[in-house]
Amino acid sequence: MRIAALCLALAACGSERPAPTPIRFLHTFGADETELFNATMSERGIAVESSLVPFARGQQVISEILRAGNACPDLIRIDATWLPGFVAAKLLQPVPANLAQGDWLPEAVALASDENGLAALPQAVDGLVVIRDEAAPAPASASIEDLIAAAKATQHPGRPHPLGLRVDGYWLVPWLRAEGADLAVGRIDDAGAVRAVEKFAALFGELAPPPPPAGGEAPDELRRWTAHEIAYWVTGPWQVGALGDRERLAVTALARAPRGGQLLVVPACAKNPGEGWRLAGELTSVEVEGKFAEVFATVPTRQAALAAAPPLVHAIHDALAGTEMLPRSPLTPLLFDDLNPALAAVVNGDAKPDEVVDGVRRGWRRLEAQQHEARR
Amino acid sequence: MRSGLRWRVLLVLSLAAVVPTVVVGVLAIMRARHDVENEVQRGALAHIRALGSSLDGTLQGTRRTIELAASQWADAPQDERETLLLLRRLRREVPIVKTVSILDPDGKLLYGDPVPPGVDIGSHSFGGYIGDAVFVGGGPTVHAVVQARGRTGELMGVVVAALDLGFVRDVIAAARLGPGARVIVVDGAGVPVATSDNSPLSAQSLAGHDPVVDHALASTVEGTLSENGWVSAYRNLSSYQSLRGVRWAIIHKQPETQAYALARSTTRDTAIIGIAALAIALALGAFFATKLTRPLEKLAERADAIAAGHAAEAPPISGPGEIGMLAQSVDEMAKRIAERAELAAALARGDRLASVGVMSAQVAHEINNPLTTVLGYAKLLLEDKPEGHPDHTALELIADEAERMKKIIGGLLEYARAPRNSEPVTQTATGTAAPGASEPSAVVKHVAALVAPQLRKARAKLVTDVQPGKPVSIEAHALQQVLVNLVQNAAQAMNDGGTIRVSAQPTAGGIATQISVSDDGPGIPPGDRARVFDPFFTTKAPGTGTGLGLAVCRHLVATAGGSIEVHDGPGGKGAEFRVIIPNATT
Repeated sequence: MRIAALCLALAACGSERPAPTPIRFLHTFGADETELFNATMSERGIAVESSLVPFARGQQVISEILRAGNACPDLIRIDATWLPGFVAAKLLQPVPANLAQGDWLPEAVALASDENGLAALPQAVDGLVVIRDEAAPAPASASIEDLIAAAKATQHPGRPHPLGLRVDGYWLVPWLRAEGADLAVGRIDDAGAVRAVEKFAALFGELAPPPPPAGGEAPDELRRWTAHEIAYWVTGPWQVGALGDRERLAVTALARAPRGGQLLVVPACAKNPGEGWRLAGELTSVEVEGKFAEVFATVPTRQAALAAAPPLVHAIHDALAGTEMLPRSPLTPLLFDDLNPALAAVVNGDAKPDEVVDGVRRGWRRLEAQQHEARR
Repeated sequence: MRSGLRWRVLLVLSLAAVVPTVVVGVLAIMRARHDVENEVQRGALAHIRALGSSLDGTLQGTRRTIELAASQWADAPQDERETLLLLRRLRREVPIVKTVSILDPDGKLLYGDPVPPGVDIGSHSFGGYIGDAVFVGGGPTVHAVVQARGRTGELMGVVVAALDLGFVRDVIAAARLGPGARVIVVDGAGVPVATSDNSPLSAQSLAGHDPVVDHALASTVEGTLSENGWVSAYRNLSSYQSLRGVRWAIIHKQPETQAYALARSTTRDTAIIGIAALAIALALGAFFATKLTRPLEKLAERADAIAAGHAAEAPPISGPGEIGMLAQSVDEMAKRIAERAELAAALARGDRLASVGVMSAQVAHEINNPLTTVLGYAKLLLEDKPEGHPDHTALELIADEAERMKKIIGGLLEYARAPRNSEPVTQTATGTAAPGASEPSAVVKHVAALVAPQLRKARAKLVTDVQPGKPVSIEAHALQQVLVNLVQNAAQAMNDGGTIRVSAQPTAGGIATQISVSDDGPGIPPGDRARVFDPFFTTKAPGTGTGLGLAVCRHLVATAGGSIEVHDGPGGKGAEFRVIIPNATT
């Protein structure tokens, strides 16, 4: 009997436990961030089946997946500008109260909220700042004029293009706001928008490098920074992770630059929403946010994590203090689809600023009408 | 037990050589098989890479052409004639374009063919893309959507082209595939759009039904899968991407039995060759183990024989290397043991003879006195009875016989006499021999001088070959007596004269010296050899010998711990007496 009992006990010990169902996670992490994410999940013993969604088409791809309903993920990391669209389409689950009651930074809460409160968990705060070569003097203020003046002061034949800038509607936002316009229907047809486009486009080839072929912007900027061709680089904290020599970095604010961030949402079609929120809780824990802050200078969304973050992260956080969120509209991310080619047309000399602003205005009006029609 | 050694050697060989060889061989075979299987999978991947590259190239070329057309239209969207010409040219120059449409940004048809209802062309999206397959008219079709933006970047509309996927089928059908292999292209939803075997297609997705399709759709690059008896390789088609961001995939499937046929036959052949080589190695190992252990077994048998007291019986053992040296040492040891045993036996025999001698001496002593009286009175009576007296002859016979009896008793006393320590010490070649020892060459030289007159009389010649050597453990007078006796016997045995040879040499073991005395006489019949050393045994004519000479010799030699043997003479002629006496210890 004892032998039989022992055999049974051994058989019971030897039988494998059913493998836990992995949490399905769609994200927009970069390659290095994905590696850290995978390592972190492995350390914490969390089974995750993650898929990368290309950021450029992220909103469209995720919308299609959520509308199709099959192959629905348990958790998604989205850009903050996509949140209003998903909320409007009722594609998301509400945030559990226990997670909502965290020590979130106010700006993180603002990014993740709609009119009803927290609609997502904030994972990172970002936006445009000026990353400056430590050797280059700080601009006198955060204004565009002072940034340009400082860049011009470091311009010389060996460094003809000291200002790092990208032909992208997101980068145009400070110029729009400086001229009284903004990234919104009804604000883009302002005369200030034409001036903003004109001033912005005039910088390329003069103070900023000529734009590389589409898709090659990030590597081109990184190469120029590494080669010390750029002294003032208008970019976001997402770029810091790829920079090796952080001692060389100094961070300066850019007035009225756009503030953004990354959010974690659980879709309404999720099969395991509880697991999705569990993973979201892990990713926004003080430990994990602290790790991302240390490795990638990601600005945390929790006060405790920010308090423990390295000085560079604090500098970025402080520089982001003067930034402003983009308009909270489902249309906002779609606006870039028209603004970006318009801006490229001006920079390439194919069109004049007033021509492209007219086109953008028409496109945005059409989008607004489509949205209005869809609501009806 | 002796044969166990061979098996133990075989076992050691097995453990030390065969087992590692088998383990390494099995690992090598498994590794080789794994490598070949990997090569098969890599080959399949390379195949579908080439096919995928061809499909991507065709689609990218088509897309670029459509993009150019879209840009051209967006520059003059109101020019209907130019637009229609453009669409016609597009259909003509791009054979895979089945239908082409231009829609406004709201999705309303402006020019060209109507878009089938239910097809989500996603015109609101940014950039161009390839949608999922739709089955129109029985065949799979896919819609390429390209935004048409004007010079200012403004969205003027979208160009939607329905592409005939027959080219996909043609490309993969033309591929040279291995036996049983099949290539499938699935869209982002897992719906097969083309197969290499031209099997009927339907809009039924394989996702969730075929594991390799699930793997292919979940992958962003490429991979291989070996499952359910199939070896599969898959790769994403980078130019084809569904609205949900899932890329199409090209999949190569082959039954495992056919895909790995070469690997398996190679494994089998290698295993057979390996087993044959192992069997040969084992046979050779057994052969060499036997060869190696046979001398050892013989050595063991020899040791047993030594232990049983038959040290000298076994023939010499030969063997290679250290075993040969060991065999030589054992042979040497056996010889020494045999010599010691023989000497010990002789010593024991000497003790017994000594006991007989003591008894004989007592008897002789007791008889000698009355016999002396008898002889004395017989001689007195003879003096009183002159010749011719009737008693004279009887008295003379009594006196002669009494005289003869005294000689016999004298011989007995001689036989029983203990060695005398008063004899002068014999000089050796290198100095003075120790007490109780003698140097053979000096003794032989002295003996030659003593017997010379007798030998002349018998016309015998004495030849000596005794070099100065180690002293032997026998008193010089005793050795002298032994040798004189043997030389006199030899001389008497040769009626017509001859040569007597005396030689001395160390024994094989080096612990004794053998002194040989041989003659050219008639020899001693084998039947008498066992008795020649017995007291009173003689082959001489009656009255010419007492039969005690050789018995005395054996007694003296045995008392010294030595032995005496009789053999045929050199060349089988005459007799040879071999006296073996232990060397004196220094």
